[in-house]
Amino acid sequence: MYEQIASNRAKTVFIIIGFIIFITLVGFAIGYYLDWRGISNNYSIILMIFALILAVIMSFSSYYYSDRIVLSLTGARPISREENPRVYYMVDGLSIAAGLTIPKIYVIGDEGMNAFATGRNPQKGVIVFTQGLLDNLNDEELKGVISHELSHIKNYDILLGTIVVVMVGMITIISNIIFRSFIFGGGSRRRSSKGSGGGILSLILIIVGILLILLSPIIATLIRLAISRNREFLADSTGALISRYPAGLANALKKISMHSEVKTASSATAHLFIANPIGEKSKVMFKSLFNTHPPAEERIRRLEDMSLGVGIK
Amino acid sequence: MLTGVISLIAIIAGIIILLFFIGIGIYNSIVSLRNKVDNSWHQIDVQLRKRYDLIPNLMETVKGYAKHERETLQNVINARKMGIDAKTVKEQAKAENMITDTLKSLFALSENYPNLKADQHFLRLMEQLNGIESNIAYARQFYNDMVMKFNTRIQTFPGNIFARMFNFLSRDYFEIEEVSAREPVKVKF
Repeated sequence: MYEQIASNRAKTVFIIIGFIIFITLVGFAIGYYLDWRGISNNYSIILMIFALILAVIMSFSSYYYSDRIVLSLTGARPISREENPRVYYMVDGLSIAAGLTIPKIYVIGDEGMNAFATGRNPQKGVIVFTQGLLDNLNDEELKGVISHELSHIKNYDILLGTIVVVMVGMITIISNIIFRSFIFGGGSRRRSSKGSGGGILSLILIIVGILLILLSPIIATLIRLAISRNREFLADSTGALISRYPAGLANALKKISMHSEVKTASSATAHLFIANPIGEKSKVMFKSLFNTHPPAEERIRRLEDMSLGVGIK
Repeated sequence: MLTGVISLIAIIAGIIILLFFIGIGIYNSIVSLRNKVDNSWHQIDVQLRKRYDLIPNLMETVKGYAKHERETLQNVINARKMGIDAKTVKEQAKAENMITDTLKSLFALSENYPNLKADQHFLRLMEQLNGIESNIAYARQFYNDMVMKFNTRIQTFPGNIFARMFNFLSRDYFEIEEVSAREPVKVKF
Protein backbone atom coordinates (compact mmCIF):
# COMPACT_ATOMS: atom_id res chain seq x y z
CA MET A 1 0.00 0.00 0.00
CA TYR A 2 2.63 2.54 1.07
CA GLU A 3 5.04 1.30 -1.61
CA GLN A 4 2.26 1.84 -4.12
CA ILE A 5 1.83 5.44 -2.96
CA ALA A 6 5.58 6.09 -3.12
CA SER A 7 5.86 4.56 -6.59
CA ASN A 8 2.91 6.59 -7.84
CA ARG A 9 4.48 9.81 -6.58
CA ALA A 10 7.82 8.89 -8.15
CA LYS A 11 6.14 8.13 -11.47
CA THR A 12 4.25 11.41 -11.37
CA VAL A 13 7.49 13.34 -10.85
CA PHE A 14 9.11 11.31 -13.64
CA ILE A 15 6.29 12.09 -16.04
CA ILE A 16 6.35 15.81 -15.25
CA ILE A 17 10.13 15.98 -15.74
CA GLY A 18 9.85 13.98 -18.97
CA PHE A 19 7.20 16.37 -20.21
CA ILE A 20 9.31 19.45 -19.41
CA ILE A 21 12.35 17.93 -21.16
CA PHE A 22 10.25 17.07 -24.18
CA ILE A 23 8.78 20.54 -24.62
CA THR A 24 12.20 22.12 -24.07
CA LEU A 25 13.69 19.89 -26.75
CA VAL A 26 10.99 20.87 -29.20
CA GLY A 27 11.75 24.55 -28.52
CA PHE A 28 15.45 23.92 -28.96
CA ALA A 29 14.95 22.05 -32.24
CA ILE A 30 12.92 24.87 -33.77
CA GLY A 31 15.46 27.49 -32.62
CA TYR A 32 18.39 25.42 -33.76
CA TYR A 33 16.92 25.10 -37.20
CA LEU A 34 16.29 28.85 -37.46
CA ASP A 35 19.88 29.56 -36.40
CA TRP A 36 21.21 27.04 -38.84
CA ARG A 37 19.35 28.67 -41.68
CA GLY A 38 20.95 31.97 -40.70
CA ILE A 39 17.56 33.56 -40.12
CA SER A 40 18.35 34.31 -36.52
CA ASN A 41 21.05 34.32 -33.89
CA ASN A 42 20.88 32.31 -30.67
CA TYR A 43 17.25 31.45 -31.21
CA SER A 44 18.01 27.90 -30.11
CA ILE A 45 18.81 29.17 -26.59
CA ILE A 46 16.03 31.76 -26.47
CA LEU A 47 13.37 29.37 -27.73
CA MET A 48 14.64 26.64 -25.44
CA ILE A 49 14.33 28.89 -22.38
CA PHE A 50 10.92 30.05 -23.57
CA ALA A 51 9.78 26.44 -24.03
CA LEU A 52 11.18 25.50 -20.64
CA ILE A 53 9.24 28.27 -18.91
CA LEU A 54 6.12 27.34 -20.86
CA ALA A 55 6.51 23.67 -19.95
CA VAL A 56 6.96 24.45 -16.25
CA ILE A 57 3.85 26.63 -16.26
CA MET A 58 1.92 23.91 -18.11
CA SER A 59 3.10 21.29 -15.61
CA PHE A 60 2.08 23.35 -12.62
CA SER A 61 -1.30 24.14 -14.08
CA SER A 62 -1.88 20.52 -15.02
CA TYR A 63 -1.03 19.51 -11.46
CA TYR A 64 -3.59 21.93 -10.09
CA TYR A 65 -6.26 21.79 -12.78
CA SER A 66 -5.99 18.34 -14.37
CA ASP A 67 -8.91 17.01 -12.33
CA ARG A 68 -11.15 19.81 -13.57
CA ILE A 69 -9.96 19.25 -17.14
CA VAL A 70 -10.74 15.54 -16.90
CA LEU A 71 -14.16 16.23 -15.42
CA SER A 72 -15.08 18.61 -18.21
CA LEU A 73 -13.58 16.31 -20.87
CA THR A 74 -15.89 13.51 -19.78
CA GLY A 75 -18.88 15.81 -19.36
CA ALA A 76 -19.33 15.04 -15.67
CA ARG A 77 -21.46 17.29 -13.47
CA PRO A 78 -21.70 17.43 -9.67
CA ILE A 79 -24.83 16.06 -8.07
CA SER A 80 -26.29 17.17 -4.77
CA ARG A 81 -27.14 15.08 -1.77
CA GLU A 82 -30.83 15.68 -2.40
CA GLU A 83 -30.62 14.41 -5.97
CA ASN A 84 -29.24 11.03 -5.00
CA PRO A 85 -29.18 10.42 -1.24
CA ARG A 86 -28.53 6.71 -1.81
CA VAL A 87 -25.08 7.12 -3.37
CA TYR A 88 -24.09 9.86 -0.89
CA TYR A 89 -25.08 7.63 1.98
CA MET A 90 -22.86 4.80 0.71
CA VAL A 91 -19.91 7.03 -0.19
CA ASP A 92 -20.04 8.63 3.29
CA GLY A 93 -19.96 5.30 5.07
CA LEU A 94 -17.30 3.66 2.94
CA SER A 95 -15.07 6.75 3.14
CA ILE A 96 -15.22 6.47 6.91
CA ALA A 97 -14.30 2.79 6.64
CA ALA A 98 -11.36 3.65 4.37
CA GLY A 99 -10.31 6.53 6.59
CA LEU A 100 -10.60 9.05 3.76
CA THR A 101 -12.00 12.54 3.42
CA ILE A 102 -15.44 12.21 1.84
CA PRO A 103 -14.92 12.76 -1.91
CA LYS A 104 -17.13 14.85 -4.16
CA ILE A 105 -19.60 13.00 -6.36
CA TYR A 106 -20.09 13.68 -10.07
CA VAL A 107 -22.32 12.03 -12.64
CA ILE A 108 -22.03 11.50 -16.38
CA GLY A 109 -25.41 11.36 -18.05
CA ASP A 110 -24.68 8.18 -19.99
CA GLU A 111 -26.57 4.90 -19.85
CA GLY A 112 -23.36 2.86 -20.08
CA MET A 113 -22.18 1.51 -16.72
CA ASN A 114 -18.82 2.87 -15.63
CA ALA A 115 -17.05 4.93 -12.98
CA PHE A 116 -13.71 6.58 -12.27
CA ALA A 117 -11.95 8.68 -9.66
CA THR A 118 -9.82 11.78 -10.08
CA GLY A 119 -8.19 14.54 -8.02
CA ARG A 120 -4.64 15.41 -7.11
CA ASN A 121 -4.69 14.04 -3.57
CA PRO A 122 -7.06 12.14 -1.28
CA GLN A 123 -8.33 15.42 0.24
CA LYS A 124 -9.48 16.60 -3.19
CA GLY A 125 -10.87 13.28 -4.39
CA VAL A 126 -13.76 13.10 -6.83
CA ILE A 127 -15.70 9.98 -7.78
CA VAL A 128 -17.58 10.00 -11.06
CA PHE A 129 -20.39 7.56 -11.85
CA THR A 130 -22.40 7.17 -15.00
CA GLN A 131 -26.15 7.45 -14.59
CA GLY A 132 -26.43 3.93 -15.99
CA LEU A 133 -24.25 2.58 -13.18
CA LEU A 134 -26.31 4.26 -10.47
CA ASP A 135 -29.54 3.03 -12.04
CA ASN A 136 -28.59 -0.58 -12.67
CA LEU A 137 -26.50 -1.72 -9.72
CA ASN A 138 -27.97 -2.88 -6.42
CA ASP A 139 -26.59 -1.63 -3.08
CA GLU A 140 -23.94 -4.30 -2.59
CA GLU A 141 -22.65 -3.94 -6.16
CA LEU A 142 -22.53 -0.16 -5.95
CA LYS A 143 -20.66 -0.40 -2.64
CA GLY A 144 -18.13 -2.65 -4.39
CA VAL A 145 -17.58 -0.06 -7.14
CA ILE A 146 -17.31 2.80 -4.62
CA SER A 147 -14.73 0.84 -2.60
CA HIS A 148 -12.72 0.20 -5.76
CA GLU A 149 -12.66 3.92 -6.56
CA LEU A 150 -11.86 4.83 -2.96
CA SER A 151 -8.79 2.60 -3.10
CA HIS A 152 -7.65 4.40 -6.27
CA ILE A 153 -7.95 7.62 -4.26
CA LYS A 154 -6.10 6.14 -1.30
CA ASN A 155 -3.25 4.82 -3.49
CA TYR A 156 -2.72 8.15 -5.31
CA ASP A 157 -3.57 6.36 -8.57
CA ILE A 158 -5.82 9.33 -9.26
CA LEU A 159 -2.96 11.84 -9.35
CA LEU A 160 -0.88 9.81 -11.79
CA GLY A 161 -3.82 8.80 -13.97
CA THR A 162 -5.18 12.33 -14.18
CA ILE A 163 -1.84 14.01 -14.92
CA VAL A 164 -1.17 11.48 -17.66
CA VAL A 165 -4.45 12.44 -19.32
CA VAL A 166 -3.45 16.08 -19.51
CA MET A 167 0.24 15.64 -20.38
CA VAL A 168 -0.33 13.04 -23.05
CA GLY A 169 -3.24 15.10 -24.29
CA MET A 170 -1.05 18.19 -24.66
CA ILE A 171 1.66 16.27 -26.49
CA THR A 172 -0.94 14.79 -28.80
CA ILE A 173 -2.38 18.22 -29.51
CA ILE A 174 1.09 19.65 -30.23
CA SER A 175 1.98 16.79 -32.55
CA ASN A 176 -1.40 17.01 -34.28
CA ILE A 177 -0.96 20.73 -34.92
CA ILE A 178 2.52 20.13 -36.27
CA PHE A 179 1.55 17.25 -38.52
CA ARG A 180 -1.50 19.02 -39.87
CA SER A 181 0.28 22.28 -40.55
CA PHE A 182 2.99 20.25 -42.22
CA ILE A 183 0.52 18.61 -44.56
CA PHE A 184 -1.54 21.73 -45.27
CA GLY A 185 1.46 24.04 -45.16
CA GLY A 186 3.26 21.88 -47.69
CA GLY A 187 0.22 21.86 -49.95
CA SER A 188 -0.33 25.63 -49.91
CA ARG A 189 3.33 26.26 -50.54
CA ARG A 190 3.16 24.33 -53.75
CA ARG A 191 0.05 26.12 -54.84
CA SER A 192 1.00 29.66 -53.93
CA SER A 193 4.79 29.22 -54.21
CA LYS A 194 5.45 32.26 -52.05
CA GLY A 195 9.17 31.62 -51.91
CA SER A 196 11.35 30.35 -49.12
CA GLY A 197 9.04 31.20 -46.17
CA GLY A 198 6.84 28.15 -46.53
CA GLY A 199 9.87 25.97 -47.12
CA ILE A 200 11.47 26.96 -43.86
CA LEU A 201 8.28 26.40 -41.98
CA SER A 202 7.75 22.95 -43.41
CA LEU A 203 11.36 21.99 -42.69
CA ILE A 204 10.95 23.05 -39.07
CA LEU A 205 7.83 20.99 -38.90
CA ILE A 206 9.60 18.01 -40.41
CA ILE A 207 12.28 18.22 -37.72
CA VAL A 208 9.77 18.52 -34.92
CA GLY A 209 7.72 15.79 -36.52
CA ILE A 210 10.70 13.47 -36.58
CA LEU A 211 11.43 14.38 -32.98
CA LEU A 212 7.90 13.45 -32.04
CA ILE A 213 8.12 10.19 -33.90
CA LEU A 214 11.35 9.38 -32.09
CA LEU A 215 9.76 10.25 -28.76
CA SER A 216 6.48 8.47 -29.31
CA PRO A 217 7.73 5.27 -27.64
CA ILE A 218 8.27 7.39 -24.53
CA ILE A 219 4.74 8.73 -24.79
CA ALA A 220 3.44 5.20 -25.09
CA THR A 221 5.47 4.25 -22.03
CA LEU A 222 3.90 7.11 -20.10
CA ILE A 223 0.46 5.82 -20.88
CA ARG A 224 1.41 2.32 -19.94
CA LEU A 225 2.92 3.50 -16.65
CA ALA A 226 -0.44 4.90 -15.77
CA ILE A 227 -2.50 1.99 -16.91
CA SER A 228 -0.50 -0.85 -15.50
CA ARG A 229 -3.05 -3.60 -15.25
CA ASN A 230 -1.87 -4.54 -11.80
CA ARG A 231 -3.29 -1.24 -10.64
CA GLU A 232 -6.81 -2.47 -11.33
CA PHE A 233 -6.22 -5.78 -9.59
CA LEU A 234 -4.75 -3.96 -6.61
CA ALA A 235 -7.70 -1.57 -6.41
CA ASP A 236 -10.07 -4.56 -6.64
CA SER A 237 -8.47 -6.28 -3.67
CA THR A 238 -8.03 -3.11 -1.59
CA GLY A 239 -11.62 -2.26 -2.42
CA ALA A 240 -12.75 -5.65 -1.19
CA LEU A 241 -10.95 -4.93 2.08
CA ILE A 242 -12.89 -1.69 2.46
CA SER A 243 -16.31 -3.11 1.64
CA ARG A 244 -15.52 -6.48 3.27
CA TYR A 245 -17.58 -8.08 0.54
CA PRO A 246 -15.64 -9.06 -2.62
CA ALA A 247 -18.71 -10.64 -4.18
CA GLY A 248 -20.32 -7.19 -4.42
CA LEU A 249 -17.65 -5.90 -6.78
CA ALA A 250 -17.50 -9.24 -8.63
CA ASN A 251 -21.22 -9.07 -9.38
CA ALA A 252 -20.89 -5.40 -10.33
CA LEU A 253 -18.11 -6.23 -12.80
CA LYS A 254 -20.27 -8.93 -14.34
CA LYS A 255 -22.99 -6.37 -15.01
CA ILE A 256 -20.58 -3.60 -16.02
CA SER A 257 -18.68 -5.74 -18.53
CA MET A 258 -21.91 -6.24 -20.46
CA HIS A 259 -22.32 -2.55 -21.14
CA SER A 260 -19.43 -0.32 -20.10
CA GLU A 261 -19.26 2.04 -23.08
CA VAL A 262 -19.25 5.74 -22.27
CA LYS A 263 -19.73 8.12 -25.18
CA THR A 264 -17.70 10.97 -23.71
CA ALA A 265 -14.68 8.78 -22.92
CA SER A 266 -11.70 8.78 -25.27
CA SER A 267 -8.41 6.93 -25.50
CA ALA A 268 -6.91 9.74 -23.40
CA THR A 269 -9.22 9.12 -20.45
CA ALA A 270 -9.99 5.40 -20.91
CA HIS A 271 -7.39 4.22 -18.40
CA LEU A 272 -9.12 6.07 -15.57
CA PHE A 273 -12.33 4.05 -15.77
CA ILE A 274 -13.14 0.92 -13.79
CA ALA A 275 -13.88 -0.98 -17.02
CA ASN A 276 -12.95 -0.17 -20.59
CA PRO A 277 -15.28 2.65 -21.67
CA ILE A 278 -14.40 2.47 -25.36
CA GLY A 279 -16.53 0.29 -27.59
CA GLU A 280 -15.37 -2.86 -29.33
CA LYS A 281 -14.84 -1.26 -32.74
CA SER A 282 -12.04 1.10 -31.80
CA LYS A 283 -10.51 -1.45 -29.49
CA VAL A 284 -9.53 -3.90 -32.21
CA MET A 285 -6.73 -1.82 -33.65
CA PHE A 286 -4.79 -1.37 -30.43
CA LYS A 287 -5.99 -4.46 -28.73
CA SER A 288 -2.60 -5.83 -27.73
CA LEU A 289 -0.85 -2.48 -27.54
CA PHE A 290 -3.20 -0.51 -25.35
CA ASN A 291 -5.14 -2.99 -23.36
CA THR A 292 -6.01 -0.58 -20.62
CA HIS A 293 -7.97 -3.02 -18.53
CA PRO A 294 -7.42 -6.62 -17.51
CA PRO A 295 -10.14 -8.97 -18.76
CA ALA A 296 -13.24 -8.79 -16.58
CA GLU A 297 -13.36 -12.60 -16.23
CA GLU A 298 -9.93 -12.61 -14.61
CA ARG A 299 -10.86 -9.84 -12.17
CA ILE A 300 -14.12 -11.56 -11.26
CA ARG A 301 -12.30 -14.86 -10.74
CA ARG A 302 -9.78 -13.27 -8.36
CA LEU A 303 -12.53 -11.54 -6.39
CA GLU A 304 -14.49 -14.77 -6.11
CA ASP A 305 -11.36 -16.52 -4.87
CA MET A 306 -11.12 -13.85 -2.22
CA SER A 307 -14.65 -14.37 -1.02
CA LEU A 308 -14.05 -18.11 -0.90
CA GLY A 309 -11.15 -17.38 1.42
CA VAL A 310 -8.52 -18.61 -1.04
CA GLY A 311 -7.10 -15.11 -1.10
CA ILE A 312 -4.61 -13.47 -3.43
CA LYS A 313 -1.15 -12.33 -2.64
CA MET B 1 48.38 -1.55 14.30
CA LEU B 2 47.17 1.87 15.24
CA THR B 3 45.35 2.33 11.93
CA GLY B 4 43.69 -1.05 12.50
CA VAL B 5 42.33 0.07 15.87
CA ILE B 6 41.18 3.36 14.46
CA SER B 7 39.35 1.75 11.58
CA LEU B 8 37.74 -0.76 13.97
CA ILE B 9 36.52 2.10 16.15
CA ALA B 10 35.26 3.91 13.05
CA ILE B 11 33.35 0.83 11.90
CA ILE B 12 31.78 0.33 15.32
CA ALA B 13 30.88 4.02 15.54
CA GLY B 14 29.39 3.78 12.05
CA ILE B 15 27.25 0.80 13.04
CA ILE B 16 26.07 2.56 16.20
CA ILE B 17 25.12 5.67 14.23
CA LEU B 18 23.32 3.53 11.64
CA LEU B 19 21.41 1.66 14.35
CA PHE B 20 20.52 4.96 15.94
CA PHE B 21 18.96 6.23 12.73
CA ILE B 22 17.12 2.96 12.11
CA GLY B 23 15.85 3.27 15.68
CA ILE B 24 14.56 6.78 15.04
CA GLY B 25 12.74 5.47 11.95
CA ILE B 26 11.05 2.66 13.87
CA TYR B 27 10.14 4.94 16.76
CA ASN B 28 8.60 7.48 14.40
CA SER B 29 6.62 4.85 12.55
CA ILE B 30 5.15 3.60 15.83
CA VAL B 31 4.19 7.12 16.85
CA SER B 32 2.58 7.78 13.48
CA LEU B 33 0.57 4.55 13.76
CA ARG B 34 -0.51 5.55 17.25
CA ASN B 35 -1.69 8.89 15.90
CA LYS B 36 -3.65 7.05 13.23
CA VAL B 37 -5.35 5.00 15.93
CA ASP B 38 -6.23 8.20 17.81
CA ASN B 39 -7.51 9.82 14.66
CA SER B 40 -9.64 6.82 13.75
CA TRP B 41 -11.06 6.86 17.28
CA HIS B 42 -11.99 10.46 16.70
CA GLN B 43 -13.98 9.34 13.63
CA ILE B 44 -16.03 7.00 15.81
CA ASP B 45 -16.44 9.73 18.40
CA VAL B 46 -17.90 12.12 15.82
CA GLN B 47 -20.60 9.60 14.97
CA LEU B 48 -21.29 8.78 18.61
CA ARG B 49 -21.78 12.48 19.44
CA LYS B 50 -24.24 12.84 16.58
CA ARG B 51 -26.22 10.01 18.06
CA TYR B 52 -26.13 11.50 21.59
CA ASP B 53 -27.46 14.75 20.14
CA LEU B 54 -30.40 13.06 18.42
CA ILE B 55 -31.54 10.91 21.33
CA PRO B 56 -33.11 13.69 23.52
CA ASN B 57 -35.00 14.83 20.45
CA LEU B 58 -36.25 11.31 19.88
CA MET B 59 -37.27 11.00 23.54
CA GLU B 60 -39.44 14.13 23.32
CA THR B 61 -41.17 12.86 20.20
CA VAL B 62 -41.85 9.41 21.61
CA LYS B 63 -43.10 10.79 24.93
CA GLY B 64 -45.80 12.66 23.06
CA TYR B 65 -47.34 9.39 21.85
CA ALA B 66 -46.24 6.69 24.28
CA LYS B 67 -46.19 8.13 27.78
CA HIS B 68 -46.55 4.79 29.49
CA GLU B 69 -43.44 3.17 28.10
CA ARG B 70 -41.38 4.78 30.84
CA GLU B 71 -39.04 1.83 31.28
CA THR B 72 -37.95 1.59 27.64
CA LEU B 73 -37.39 5.33 27.48
CA GLN B 74 -35.41 5.32 30.71
CA ASN B 75 -33.20 2.50 29.37
CA VAL B 76 -32.25 4.57 26.36
CA ILE B 77 -31.51 7.60 28.53
CA ASN B 78 -29.39 5.51 30.91
CA ALA B 79 -27.44 3.95 28.07
CA ARG B 80 -26.79 7.39 26.58
CA LYS B 81 -25.52 8.66 29.92
CA MET B 82 -23.24 5.63 30.21
CA GLY B 83 -21.86 6.36 26.76
CA ILE B 84 -21.15 10.01 27.58
CA ASP B 85 -19.47 9.08 30.86
CA ALA B 86 -17.40 6.23 29.40
CA LYS B 87 -13.68 6.57 29.98
CA THR B 88 -12.17 3.55 28.22
CA VAL B 89 -12.74 1.99 24.82
CA LYS B 90 -14.22 -1.10 26.46
CA GLU B 91 -16.72 0.93 28.50
CA GLN B 92 -17.57 2.97 25.44
CA ALA B 93 -18.14 -0.13 23.32
CA LYS B 94 -20.38 -1.61 25.99
CA ALA B 95 -22.42 1.57 26.32
CA GLU B 96 -22.79 1.97 22.56
CA ASN B 97 -23.98 -1.61 22.20
CA MET B 98 -26.54 -0.84 24.88
CA ILE B 99 -27.72 2.26 23.08
CA THR B 100 -28.10 0.27 19.87
CA ASP B 101 -30.08 -2.42 21.68
CA THR B 102 -32.34 -0.04 23.59
CA LEU B 103 -33.02 1.97 20.43
CA LYS B 104 -33.95 -1.24 18.67
CA SER B 105 -36.50 -2.10 21.35
CA LEU B 106 -37.80 1.46 21.21
CA PHE B 107 -38.32 1.20 17.46
CA ALA B 108 -39.95 -2.21 17.91
CA LEU B 109 -42.26 -0.63 20.45
CA SER B 110 -43.35 2.01 17.98
CA GLU B 111 -45.16 -0.77 16.13
CA ASN B 112 -47.81 -0.57 18.87
CA TYR B 113 -48.41 3.15 18.33
CA PRO B 114 -49.70 3.81 14.80
CA ASN B 115 -49.75 7.57 15.43
CA LEU B 116 -46.10 7.54 16.43
CA LYS B 117 -45.21 5.40 13.43
CA ALA B 118 -46.87 7.91 11.16
CA ASP B 119 -45.15 10.92 12.71
CA GLN B 120 -42.89 12.51 10.10
CA HIS B 121 -40.50 13.81 12.70
CA PHE B 122 -40.18 10.36 14.26
CA LEU B 123 -39.60 8.73 10.88
CA ARG B 124 -36.87 11.21 10.03
CA LEU B 125 -35.14 10.66 13.37
CA MET B 126 -35.34 6.91 12.90
CA GLU B 127 -33.80 7.21 9.46
CA GLN B 128 -31.00 9.46 10.74
CA LEU B 129 -30.25 7.12 13.64
CA ASN B 130 -30.08 4.14 11.29
CA GLY B 131 -27.67 6.05 9.07
CA ILE B 132 -25.48 6.98 12.03
CA GLU B 133 -25.48 3.40 13.18
CA SER B 134 -24.13 2.12 9.88
CA ASN B 135 -21.52 4.90 9.92
CA ILE B 136 -20.51 3.81 13.42
CA ALA B 137 -20.04 0.30 12.02
CA TYR B 138 -17.81 1.64 9.23
CA ALA B 139 -15.83 3.84 11.61
CA ARG B 140 -15.42 0.89 13.94
CA GLN B 141 -14.06 -1.19 11.06
CA PHE B 142 -11.43 1.47 10.30
CA TYR B 143 -10.54 1.91 13.96
CA ASN B 144 -10.12 -1.83 14.50
CA ASP B 145 -7.94 -2.07 11.37
CA MET B 146 -5.69 0.65 12.74
CA VAL B 147 -5.57 -0.92 16.22
CA MET B 148 -4.58 -4.22 14.66
CA LYS B 149 -1.73 -2.56 12.75
CA PHE B 150 -0.54 -0.68 15.82
CA ASN B 151 -0.76 -3.68 18.16
CA THR B 152 1.03 -5.92 15.67
CA ARG B 153 3.80 -3.37 15.31
CA ILE B 154 4.42 -3.04 19.05
CA GLN B 155 4.06 -6.76 19.75
CA THR B 156 6.47 -8.01 17.08
CA PHE B 157 10.23 -7.55 16.81
CA PRO B 158 11.73 -4.94 16.77
CA GLY B 159 8.73 -2.82 17.74
CA ASN B 160 8.30 -4.72 21.01
CA ILE B 161 11.69 -3.43 22.24
CA PHE B 162 10.64 0.14 21.61
CA ALA B 163 7.23 -0.46 23.13
CA ARG B 164 8.92 -1.55 26.35
CA MET B 165 11.45 1.30 26.29
CA PHE B 166 8.93 4.06 25.62
CA ASN B 167 5.90 2.47 27.23
CA PHE B 168 3.64 2.08 24.18
CA LEU B 169 0.56 0.15 25.30
CA SER B 170 -1.66 -2.08 23.17
CA ARG B 171 -5.02 -0.55 22.34
CA ASP B 172 -8.39 -2.19 22.84
CA TYR B 173 -10.59 -3.14 19.93
CA PHE B 174 -14.02 -1.58 19.68
CA GLU B 175 -15.98 -4.77 19.84
CA ILE B 176 -19.52 -5.68 19.02
CA GLU B 177 -21.23 -7.24 21.99
CA GLU B 178 -21.04 -11.01 21.70
CA VAL B 179 -24.59 -12.06 22.31
CA SER B 180 -26.95 -9.56 20.78
CA ALA B 181 -25.08 -8.33 17.71
CA ARG B 182 -23.64 -11.59 16.42
CA GLU B 183 -26.85 -13.55 16.76
CA PRO B 184 -28.55 -13.99 13.41
CA VAL B 185 -31.50 -11.66 13.09
CA LYS B 186 -34.75 -13.44 13.79
CA VAL B 187 -37.49 -12.63 11.38
CA LYS B 188 -41.01 -13.22 12.56
CA PHE B 189 -43.97 -13.55 10.27
